[in-house]
Amino acid sequence: MKTHDDKNFWRSLEELEHDEHFQEALRREFPEGADSSDGFDRRRFLQVMGASVALAGAQSCRWEKTNILPLSARPDDRVPGIPAHYATCFELGGVAQPLVVTSYDGRPIKVEGNDLHGQSNGAASTFAQASLLEVYDPDRSPAPVKKGAESVDMADLEAALVDIRAKHASKRGAGLAFLSHTTSSPAMAELRRALAQQLPDATFTQYDALHRDHELDGARAAYGAPLRSVYDLSKATRIACFDADILGEHPAMVAHARAFALRRRPEGPGYDGVDFADRGETMNRLYCVEPRYTVTGSNADHRLPVRAEQVGAVLAALEAELVKGGLAVPAGSGAANEMPQGSLFAEGSPVRRFVAALAKDLAAHRGASLVAVGGTQSPSVHALAHRINAMLGNVGTTVNLVAEPDGERTNSERAIEELVDRMQGAQVGTLVILGGNPVYDAPRGRDFAKALERVETTIHLSVHRNETSKACTWHVPAAHYLESWGDALAWDGSYCVAQPLIRPIFGGRSALELVGRLVHGEWRDGQQLVREGCQARTGFKSDKAWSKVIHDGYVADSAAPHVNASLRAVAPLSFSGPPVTAGIPTNGQLELVLHGDACMYDGRFANNGWLQELPDFMTKLTWDNAAMISPATAQALGVTTRDLVRLTIAGRKVDCAVYVMPGQAAGTVSLALGYGRTAAGRVGGDADHGVVSAGFDAYALTSDGTIGHASGLQVDKLGTQYQLAMTAEHHMIDASGAKERDGEWLDPDKEGGYPERGLLTAAAIMAFNDESRSRGRVAELVRETTHEKYQGYLAAVEAKGGRAAIAAASHEGGHAAEASSANGHAADQVHGGHGQDKTVHADAADGHGAEAHGADAHGEGGHHDLDPNPIKRFSGPPLLALWQRHSYDGHRWGMSIDLSACTGCNACVVACQSENNIPVVGTDQVARGREMQWIRIDRYFSGDPDDPQVARQPINCLQCEDAPCEEVCPVAATTHSDEGLNDMAYNRCIGTRYCSNNCPVKVRRFNYFNFHKDLKSSDNDLKRMMYNPEVTVRSRGVMEKCTFCVQRVQNAKIKAKTEGRRPLRDGEIVTACQQTCPADAIRFGDLADQHSVVSKAHASERSYKLLEFLNIRPRTAHLARITNPNPALVEA
Amino acid sequence: MFHFPSWTLTLRDLSGLVAVGALLYVIVFVWFGFSPKTTDVGYQPHQPVAYSHKLHAGDLGIDCRYCHTTVEHAGHAAVPPTATCMNCHSMIHTESPKLQLVRESASTGEPIPWVRVHDLPDYVYFNHSAHLAAGVGCASCHGRVDQMEEVHQDKPLSMGWCLECHRNPEPNIRPVSEITNMAYDPTAHEGLGAELLAERGIAPKQNCSTCHR
Repeated sequence: MKTHDDKNFWRSLEELEHDEHFQEALRREFPEGADSSDGFDRRRFLQVMGASVALAGAQSCRWEKTNILPLSARPDDRVPGIPAHYATCFELGGVAQPLVVTSYDGRPIKVEGNDLHGQSNGAASTFAQASLLEVYDPDRSPAPVKKGAESVDMADLEAALVDIRAKHASKRGAGLAFLSHTTSSPAMAELRRALAQQLPDATFTQYDALHRDHELDGARAAYGAPLRSVYDLSKATRIACFDADILGEHPAMVAHARAFALRRRPEGPGYDGVDFADRGETMNRLYCVEPRYTVTGSNADHRLPVRAEQVGAVLAALEAELVKGGLAVPAGSGAANEMPQGSLFAEGSPVRRFVAALAKDLAAHRGASLVAVGGTQSPSVHALAHRINAMLGNVGTTVNLVAEPDGERTNSERAIEELVDRMQGAQVGTLVILGGNPVYDAPRGRDFAKALERVETTIHLSVHRNETSKACTWHVPAAHYLESWGDALAWDGSYCVAQPLIRPIFGGRSALELVGRLVHGEWRDGQQLVREGCQARTGFKSDKAWSKVIHDGYVADSAAPHVNASLRAVAPLSFSGPPVTAGIPTNGQLELVLHGDACMYDGRFANNGWLQELPDFMTKLTWDNAAMISPATAQALGVTTRDLVRLTIAGRKVDCAVYVMPGQAAGTVSLALGYGRTAAGRVGGDADHGVVSAGFDAYALTSDGTIGHASGLQVDKLGTQYQLAMTAEHHMIDASGAKERDGEWLDPDKEGGYPERGLLTAAAIMAFNDESRSRGRVAELVRETTHEKYQGYLAAVEAKGGRAAIAAASHEGGHAAEASSANGHAADQVHGGHGQDKTVHADAADGHGAEAHGADAHGEGGHHDLDPNPIKRFSGPPLLALWQRHSYDGHRWGMSIDLSACTGCNACVVACQSENNIPVVGTDQVARGREMQWIRIDRYFSGDPDDPQVARQPINCLQCEDAPCEEVCPVAATTHSDEGLNDMAYNRCIGTRYCSNNCPVKVRRFNYFNFHKDLKSSDNDLKRMMYNPEVTVRSRGVMEKCTFCVQRVQNAKIKAKTEGRRPLRDGEIVTACQQTCPADAIRFGDLADQHSVVSKAHASERSYKLLEFLNIRPRTAHLARITNPNPALVEA
Repeated sequence: MFHFPSWTLTLRDLSGLVAVGALLYVIVFVWFGFSPKTTDVGYQPHQPVAYSHKLHAGDLGIDCRYCHTTVEHAGHAAVPPTATCMNCHSMIHTESPKLQLVRESASTGEPIPWVRVHDLPDYVYFNHSAHLAAGVGCASCHGRVDQMEEVHQDKPLSMGWCLECHRNPEPNIRPVSEITNMAYDPTAHEGLGAELLAERGIAPKQNCSTCHR
């Protein structure tokens, strides 16, 4: 790894190579075509509008006559206009995510995490948050459909169900089969018990394309029982992930991110301290070994890109290295692995160096380290990880074993095989499919669709009429989880309940109800079924206890107890041939990795506009997937980004676009699952209605068994290109920064350079230029340093008598301290920067009245010397105010975004979209740079394109103190509030876009079209329901941007006023992005309050302001990322 | 030398027409833009039930909050549910034909389709509870509802009208105990408004985001 100072950040390979296309994009104010209005009707724009967003006011001169329809009798707790919050849960992959849903006048409008539950702490994943959009999806199926029949209604279905039950009841249930997603629902478990009693020969199969059953098989091999590993990252100081995405795909990703971030933030969660040592903690260090970038890998301090098939070998090598280092394999667990023989593991190779350093580091942190293996790796690799964790003494500390709910279920892969075999053998008379989409996501080699034809009656319960529904005899509309009763177990095993927020809009039934109907022969009340499940699981009986369960959303202390298991013998792994050979395999022998998508999951979210348009955390691709190929491999294959290629493996083919991905393992081609849907709807693709599928169907490459990785892939270039809507190069801040970097600006000798102004001395300008040249501005945007360097800096401060002493001395002595700067390292380090200004008079930093101006200008960069604090590197001539600065006598809202904590999971982007009624615009518009999300996460690479480092930075409106946007608005539609916000009055905006032009951080978004068209029409009753009534819905021609969730700010203030005009408490106002951040990286509060968390974060030595030298004085402080590289692995 | 081409002469002749048109435009704009019809002062839609505020709030002296229960806690001063009417009318005037719709609503659960009188654009946020907590009385914005047989809009509810009070709240502030007192006249208590403002730290905001969000 390179040191910070010579780090050059780049966002794409085009930028790194200074490609022509990139240069052009950089210079343009808006992307090519952004100003033209053609292409509006192309692709699926109109369809997207249908499924996505709106509430336009009738802004005519006459009000239309409207009615007020009060309830005939209002329930006691119902206050019109006051949102209610209900706890519920969302099950994905058999694991519940505890949620709290905001209901506005009976309509669910926002999904957030349940802050009472330790698995959520208030945060929710992108999937859980975006699932709200599904409730109001106009593509949902409204009525039962029978194949071949004209029209049917519920009565026909009812009759069919009666027949089916009668037919199978007479045969003890023989021939009746259920197929469901993996579910941990105790209510379903109760129903299955009843099923086993009443129809003992009926079968219940659970299948998920993305499952974690290899993990269970691994535990069986290691412990003899299907145990789940629950990680406690708050105790882990050294974490090694082997193709394991514990911060992304993992079901407990929300809880993991919170615990992981605790040990990435030197000042502690409340920004009270200075460094980890203050609290007796150590910073964690994350190692990742993986074939493609995962969220976890992008956060790693050290990452080793190897092909998926090599991951196990690296783990075996780790064990060999640990044993060599003196650790013993636990008694009775078999012989230790030998170091694999092969060129990949040759003495002195990068892999060997990595493994040796990792082994040493893990061994030094026994009991506080963690080795995790991902879902697609084979059971034997999982078993080996269990042994290594045991060897390192991690079991019981960082790794806790608990019983997997329904752990004895058949492995998903085998289960679907068995079911298909039985269907083919005509042993299934009736197949009831509860949700899911096996026609699309079962391994294609098994041909589930063909097997379906052999079944006499097939019933598919589903929210949408998808590929599977169309192949089934009956399609039954399902109630969404926000419309029905349900339950499931969280990752820690605790019982969570799901309650309906609204009556099923399309009158569907839940899976529990349908199974209950077939088991008991009558429709049973969903709540009753769930209550029976709860009672069976937790023993709760009384109504009072049940009320509490519904209120809390879960049962306290119901987490699964930790199991003490003894390790069994684990067979050593054996490797030979390609897996242990270094280098890129020949075309035809490449590795294919199929993985769950960070936006689509297994494809079930394909009709969700929020998720389709959510830029992928690494590629920044929207609306598409693409084959990821490493730069070296792409060069060998002669392909580049946007090229269409044909992937062929075992005779199966898919044509798809290429994305050249830095950091991808050489020889691995990865393609995300979940795209290429043909019956998703108007967003994700609908062949029947001519809607082109979003992305390419990766399932077409699956043959049989495992959906994961396989070798033998052939890549053939097709010679054409494909438009990919990528946001990575949108909203680039550097158009002028590039000039500056190249020294075109501020050159006193150059004609048209800065004129002689007295203030800007030639020397100062030249110094500034040198600085600019040597660093470049992109490096100024995202800043990071190593923990070691940061500690050194803090120690130097300490040596000078602590911060207070230095602050006092430098405050009195002024520039005197500079004299000793050559030797007095520490004094210089803190001199002049924000640090001491903030400590001494914390209110000066934002310009507190006229008297503070001098100090303020100084604090904002008036120090000529370069601040040796590696994070605050801005230097230059003093910055003076052009206008009278704002003064404040009340609140001064501010935000801090901690880059050290942020994992780049995208949860904030969805939260913002949901809270602020942000439209979805479609792939064509995104390609033109017209995406509307108010918060974006910039992703930067640095270093070697084949093994880069990644940094990321969420950017929303910085609410600049001297905001360039405000100065150019001709109609004062954007103005400064007396609490420091850049207000946007949408109804005043005339759409000149001057503000966006003048915005240095490019956070303003323009409504090129009326994305909320025809909202008043009765066709759009459904769409209207999902808007947040607290936020204006913007129309065409209006500029919009982040407002720091001003509606939440105002509501909290009003609440405080009505409660006896009490002062606001710190933390009472929570913005939507902050609320859902799993890592707690975003903080919001009052900068006028010195004791607020956000003030403390701003005062941190790590805090810096974006584009400080432009004198815009942002109210958002970014806190530099601290990395923790292993000194043994850092290149000299 | 540059000469204007001859066709520009037509433009000169047309300019008179344009001037007249512009004048007309201004007149029409002002006529409609500033008319009470636009601001809706005096708007008095016919309600489905002949409910008299004069009788209930005025003559009988029922407090506003008996029906508009949410006004102190919520943004909306919610129109009461039919059940509120029935609290009394299950015993009084139980056969009155005027109350036919109310009784129907109570028995069927169908809402009474009241017609909205005070309507703000969707891009404006207004919160009743905040204003009540500050000491702005009902009558300040709604007029003497206790004297209205059928409710009409009494004030323009325009942005300028809102700002008038936000800039100088003193003439409209009263003790919180007098909020629903229709007859209370804040201007009759000289100095009390300023005293209340100072005492309770009331400083209405004039930021865009106070109402537009």
